[in-house]
Amino acid sequence: MTVLLFAGLTLRELARRRLVAAVALLTLAIVAFTAWGLHRLATAVVDGAPIAEPGVRATAAGIVILLAFLFSFVLALGAALVGAPAMAESIANGEILAVLARPVRRADVALGRWLGTLVALAIYVAVAGGVELLVVQIMTGYAPPQPLGALAYLCCLAGIVTTAAVALATRLPALAAGIVAALLFGLAWIGGIIESIGLALGNQRLADAGTVVALVFPTDAFWRGAVYSLQPAVFATVTVNATSNGGGVNPFAVTSPPPVPILAWAFGWVVIMLVAGIMSFRTRDL
Amino acid sequence: MPDAIVAHALAKRYGRIDALQDLTLRVARGECLGFLGPNGAGKSTAVKMLVGLVRPTGGAAEVLGKPVGDRATRARIGYLPELFRYPDWLAAREVLAFHARLLRLNDAARAVDLVLLEVGLSERAGDRVGTFSKGMQQRLGLAVALLGEPEIVFLDEPTSALDPVGRSDVRALIERLRARDTTVFLNSHLLGEVERVCDRVCVVDRGRVIAQGTVDALTGQTRGVRVRSDDGWRDYDVAHAEIPGLVARLVADGVRIHAVEPKQTTLEDRFLALVRHE
Repeated sequence: MTVLLFAGLTLRELARRRLVAAVALLTLAIVAFTAWGLHRLATAVVDGAPIAEPGVRATAAGIVILLAFLFSFVLALGAALVGAPAMAESIANGEILAVLARPVRRADVALGRWLGTLVALAIYVAVAGGVELLVVQIMTGYAPPQPLGALAYLCCLAGIVTTAAVALATRLPALAAGIVAALLFGLAWIGGIIESIGLALGNQRLADAGTVVALVFPTDAFWRGAVYSLQPAVFATVTVNATSNGGGVNPFAVTSPPPVPILAWAFGWVVIMLVAGIMSFRTRDL
Repeated sequence: MPDAIVAHALAKRYGRIDALQDLTLRVARGECLGFLGPNGAGKSTAVKMLVGLVRPTGGAAEVLGKPVGDRATRARIGYLPELFRYPDWLAAREVLAFHARLLRLNDAARAVDLVLLEVGLSERAGDRVGTFSKGMQQRLGLAVALLGEPEIVFLDEPTSALDPVGRSDVRALIERLRARDTTVFLNSHLLGEVERVCDRVCVVDRGRVIAQGTVDALTGQTRGVRVRSDDGWRDYDVAHAEIPGLVARLVADGVRIHAVEPKQTTLEDRFLALVRHE
């Protein structure tokens, strides 16, 4: 199948260009640093006594969400900076000319590049995310309630940014497509906060503005899903109480999993963007 | 059997700019057509339209009896782009193996070996493209174009990065293709090359065809004769039919003649006259 041929080419390119090796080394460094920090936390002495186990676990839960937050940004940037060049560079440098003179559908090229990038990111999420969560558990004894669910949400988040990057790169240069996709992710994150503020203050306009952003670029629902899967149940209860008492809005704690219609829309959005990207590529003169 | 290429009033417009206007031509099977024109004349645009990379804004064309861009027909076409580029992180053999898979060739390994041999890259087959000189990359591009024994090969400036030896190799290659009845569409600036290997020539300028015909028809007009005697070369402005009389007269006058050469218009002379509107 030609799509798999292009997906395989994308994966091979990432491996040959030493990106995999570089990312693996950096991830190892981050994991080692995290393990050291968590060890210090678990063995810390406050007022002459070690921190009680529940305290260590609660702190570890907060750290896990902060790590996931940073990880989501790394993923979004990675999706934008890998997905966009995978599509745009072969167009810009002319590699695509000899390829498309073959009996190949342009849709197969775009889908293959998208799939290859997605598989690379999914492997990265599974390995890096899995190892980090394992290290947290070993060092502090804390295990998030739904680790696999959290990793799946993060994969979907990366998938949305990849889709945008690849679709934009069928027309735009790699740098422009990558930057636009990454900025859209940032915009969606801010949109999520605006929506939360609107809901907390009972300001429907603010909430609606956030909802519009979530529909235009639906990554925030997956970030919330990841947080919901990672946080202990007590975090959600505390957040509900804080919000109902007129407290501030906390983007690192959510009260409920993302609504199913939003998740369904996100998958529809991916299909629409892919179709739009393919149509754009099909009508492009090379 | 339909002609290899039939184009009727083929045109491409980018905004206000006509990249190509009214390209009408017919290339028979097994024929070698030289497609000439100055920079920006629309040559590469025409080739890209014929291989389905650019959509025409006017006219129509068929390649091997099917409308341009037909997916199944593209399996029977070879194409060397003007801006040839192949993934620098792949070995030459891997590039060819990838194209062989796109073509769904049955005996891909053999087909790859054959084209590597044909372009003289067998010894460097395992080396990464990134280590290749531009000339070697162009040879690889030729190998990609020849993979799967295509019925028609579009070569867009196939010798632009090659040294004289490489150019001679490409000429020999084109002659071998002609011997196999492969149609060759040769887009080149090197007029001497075109003159040597092509049956017919089509000249475009500013997006329009300004001349087409056999190489002989375009270059066959004599413009007098050059005679070498003991005093060296001397030109005589006489018609073709008057050459024997001229020679007889010179001999009668006691001139010792060593050589007589009709002065023929070269393709370059003709090309320059056409694009300068002389």
